[in-house]
Amino acid sequence: MEAVTITLDGVEVSGYSGMTILDLARDSGVDIPTLCHDPHLNPTGACRLCLVEDDSSGALLASCVVPIRPGMVINTRSPRVIERRKVIVQFMLASHPDSCLVCDKGNRCQLRKLASEMGIGLLDFQRLPQSAAIQDVNPFIERDLSRCILCAKCIRADQELVVEGAIDYMDRGFTAKPATLGDVPLEESACTFCGTCVAMCPTGALMEKERSYHGTTTTTVDSICPFCGCGCSISLEVKDNKVVRVKPGTKSQVNRGTLCVRGSYGYDFVHSNERLTSPLIKVDGSFQEASWEQALGHISGEFKRIKEDHGASSLAILGSSKCTNEENYLLQRLARAVLGTNNIDNGSRLYNPATRFGLGQSIGFPSTTNTIDKIEDSEVIMVIGANPTASAPAVSYAIKRAVNHRNARLLLIDPRETGLAPFANLWLRPEVGTDVVLLNELCRVIIDEKLFDEEFVTRRTDNFEELVRSLKDNTPEYAQSITGISSEDIQLAAQLLAGAQRASIVYGNGITQHINGTDNVTALANLAMLNGNVGQRGGGIFALQRENNGLGACDMGTLPDFLPGYQSLDDDQVRKGFEEHWGVDLPAEAGLTAIEMIERAATGGVKGMLIVGENPVSGFPNPSAVRDALTSLDFLVTTDLFLTETAELATVVLPAASFAEKEGTFTNFEGRVQQIHKAVEPVGDSMPDWEIILQLASAMGQSMPYSTLQQVMTEIEDLVPLYQYLADADLKIEGLGRADLESERLRARRLFKGLFPSGFGRFSPVEYNQPVGQTDNGYPFTLVSGSILYQFGSGTRSLKASRLRRFWSESWLEINEDDAEYSGYGDGDVVRVISPIGEVTTTVRVTNALPKGLLFMPVSFPESPVNKLYGVNLDPRAKAPSFKPCAVRLERINPDG
Amino acid sequence: MAKVKKPTKAALKRINSIITRYSEQRWGLIPLLQEIQQVQGYIPPVVIPHIASAMRLFPSQVQGVITFYTQLYTEPQGKNVVRVCRGTACHVRGGKTILKLVKQELGVEEGETTSDYEYTLETVACIGVCALAPNIVINNSTHGHMNPKKVARLFEKEDGS
Ligand code: SF4
Ligand code: SF4
Ligand code: SF4
Ligand code: FES
Repeated sequence: MEAVTITLDGVEVSGYSGMTILDLARDSGVDIPTLCHDPHLNPTGACRLCLVEDDSSGALLASCVVPIRPGMVINTRSPRVIERRKVIVQFMLASHPDSCLVCDKGNRCQLRKLASEMGIGLLDFQRLPQSAAIQDVNPFIERDLSRCILCAKCIRADQELVVEGAIDYMDRGFTAKPATLGDVPLEESACTFCGTCVAMCPTGALMEKERSYHGTTTTTVDSICPFCGCGCSISLEVKDNKVVRVKPGTKSQVNRGTLCVRGSYGYDFVHSNERLTSPLIKVDGSFQEASWEQALGHISGEFKRIKEDHGASSLAILGSSKCTNEENYLLQRLARAVLGTNNIDNGSRLYNPATRFGLGQSIGFPSTTNTIDKIEDSEVIMVIGANPTASAPAVSYAIKRAVNHRNARLLLIDPRETGLAPFANLWLRPEVGTDVVLLNELCRVIIDEKLFDEEFVTRRTDNFEELVRSLKDNTPEYAQSITGISSEDIQLAAQLLAGAQRASIVYGNGITQHINGTDNVTALANLAMLNGNVGQRGGGIFALQRENNGLGACDMGTLPDFLPGYQSLDDDQVRKGFEEHWGVDLPAEAGLTAIEMIERAATGGVKGMLIVGENPVSGFPNPSAVRDALTSLDFLVTTDLFLTETAELATVVLPAASFAEKEGTFTNFEGRVQQIHKAVEPVGDSMPDWEIILQLASAMGQSMPYSTLQQVMTEIEDLVPLYQYLADADLKIEGLGRADLESERLRARRLFKGLFPSGFGRFSPVEYNQPVGQTDNGYPFTLVSGSILYQFGSGTRSLKASRLRRFWSESWLEINEDDAEYSGYGDGDVVRVISPIGEVTTTVRVTNALPKGLLFMPVSFPESPVNKLYGVNLDPRAKAPSFKPCAVRLERINPDG
Repeated sequence: MAKVKKPTKAALKRINSIITRYSEQRWGLIPLLQEIQQVQGYIPPVVIPHIASAMRLFPSQVQGVITFYTQLYTEPQGKNVVRVCRGTACHVRGGKTILKLVKQELGVEEGETTSDYEYTLETVACIGVCALAPNIVINNSTHGHMNPKKVARLFEKEDGS
């Protein structure tokens, strides 16, 4: 980039070409007031407040839009500039309502702040008519457009960043205002309550509703959203030991000034009055409060006894994909070094292992191969088996931005009409569970038509011949008959994908949560390698992660068959390394996976369990069997924020601290390692899980040698190759200070670096097997379950977030219009959904987003636990249960019994 | 006021064929809207989402454009458009009362259309014949020096009753 030097307020300063006057001024520490400018938005020059004077021509320029030119002489504080800015603010205040004086935005209002800085009183004006406050009944956002200064930040946030298109200007002149389509309330519009516009609005026109605190906070703490695997940066505003507001964090490469409704308005579970505040011990069937000493003493006594009587393999630990990396690291050390068993797994077993195995065997790297900004750089994006508008909103924003603003083309493969459908250039709707056939056929077309990246395939991969041979017998007719997609469309898709230099493949639980999930992922990896889309600058494979630290938990070795960093248990050398470090012998035999633990508990093989921050009773398939199994344990301990369905079965329940009450790191779906920070003191006697684990180890007489969390982090860096500090050359990020660079290094250390670690990518032929859960006469519908935007996971935390809970408090069943009409169901009808395994009751929502024969139910509502319908059908390699297709029938429940 | 009639199936078909012709040409939004208005007399709100998806825009954006131009309507307009001047001169000389009277006379508010689709009532900022204030413009003819009597007569005459 070319350097450009200008004179700014009499001082020579240099920037690079393309910078605006405002950019350079801010870089040089010169303050220019702005109202309509935001670094995340395209500048529009709407408010004119940022005026500066060009000394040579005398022109007044809007500094936020005018680029610097060599030799410019700019005065940011000339009397004309000051006077003009003052007039602008006066004009704005003239059309501002009296309620300004009592407006809750208070000192956070940028207009008010500017007025007072310029010495403008609030009441010296002739007032103009204003539009009235709007009656929105949603629990999230409040609009009072009489306070709107028409800066259009909200509109740009909505259209440029989150790309929902919920609002735009309506009318012009005096009555102009940002409005929804038809000027309806937000809840009836396309708004998803992401809160991005609220965070950007400079005045009190858009505000968070139901604020727990109305004033200005002084403490803000940077952290990471505790919900999905996107790992958005958030900034917690704190007052009197309470988190009172969450705003998008600054400088994040992941969320770029946005959040979703969960991140913006879901944080108040932290202060729910249902939080556990003291350890509980069950005495005669009811819980009694206990001291930590009593509780830990009890646990260590029981664990020791069980170990002595039945051996270490009768103990098991289920770790958490929500806890930090450090906590998961300590937990697996507790299992292996203190209890002496590899029976350790974590909650991401339900969705992640197919990726680990599928990508591991193909590309030699167990997760996402590029960063989220590369999705935006793609020419073609293929989204398959993922509904990121619900499961990974920040990723959906990136995809929509790519399509709307950068001309990327979207190939959407999903039987459901998801929120991305309107953005798709080509949308294929395969029969549920036939992805392998579709992916294989895409590969075959690409090979047949010689569209693949020959150089990449020859130089970087092996086993290509094998793949070609395995696809020889595939025919377009066969693929069409199985997937239900015409061979023309498959051909179009193949050409679209192969025609792009930079293509991204984004997939989620619709790929992994199948009995053949590993095959699905492997077939995807084949496709990506054929097109040369692995390990290059643009494009890549993007495996979405349901939870904030699903990837990190696995990285840390909270797995029965791997030591931290996926280092093999079988490798004596590796094991010895850990043994030396920890000073104990480690068990070499692989342990039990999450599902196996439960099965073994039922048959008496496992007697004692520690479950950390997971709720298998409401998340695992066949919950009544899970409940029975856990009840039959000799001894169950849980740590959690709440008395969950699982905790209720425990003998001892330990109160854990939430993400806002502790330090640590999370690893997002990209592999970015990000720090969370303590914003408030843990509620009651609760403690961060890492402290609990350390105290438990001491209580068992085998203290671990850490006195600070930093020591744990350092050990992770030392022993986990993926997390080693890499002073990377690719970290030259513009505009970052030194401290930022440090944290960027931390963030980047686990990201995919270049080509296959093993040297070669390996094609693995995949065969199609008839999926389980096929419909038959008795069960004519296929049900899939999935995430929704306004709740999260099994709902343990999100249902305690008061606003999320109120917005959508109950489960529902989506059914295609024709099916509904045929069976006579209407919206709101109460039905029983019955599978061969179980049944749940819920209400009907008729939709045209589903093809005939397909039903959809959200996870997250324990009152209608959809997991009850699923039996345990494991992917043979990933040992993860299938959660996608399930054959069901419906029965109407008569309102009068 | 007139209940907004739902556009007929035939009308929707006509509109859709216009939309198809402009598909995916973002620049074509204004001519497209004009053409629909020419054919249909207004742009029915129900077609906004169709227009948006054909143009690859958001419906709210299309609405933004329609409401920006005073010549584009989202409701059927009366045969005659009555514009009462709100300019300063008219205001000073009783324009407000004239507006009130016209509203009473027609039984509609600003921006509305009578149920027989005879009249649509609008206001304008200033029409430039302040010497004749207060003014009313009906279609293309200006009526100056308005007073209550003249207002009543005007609509009697126009009504033909
Ligand atoms: S509502 Fe707020 S952000 Fe939107 S235009 Fe008005 S002042 Fe700007
Ligand atoms: S909350 Fe989000 S979706 Fe809703 S209008 Fe604001 S930016 Fe758009
Ligand atoms: S996208 Fe995910 S990480 Fe970002 S705010 Fe929403 S739930 Fe949190
Ligand atoms: S900040 Fe530059 S015009 Fe508003």
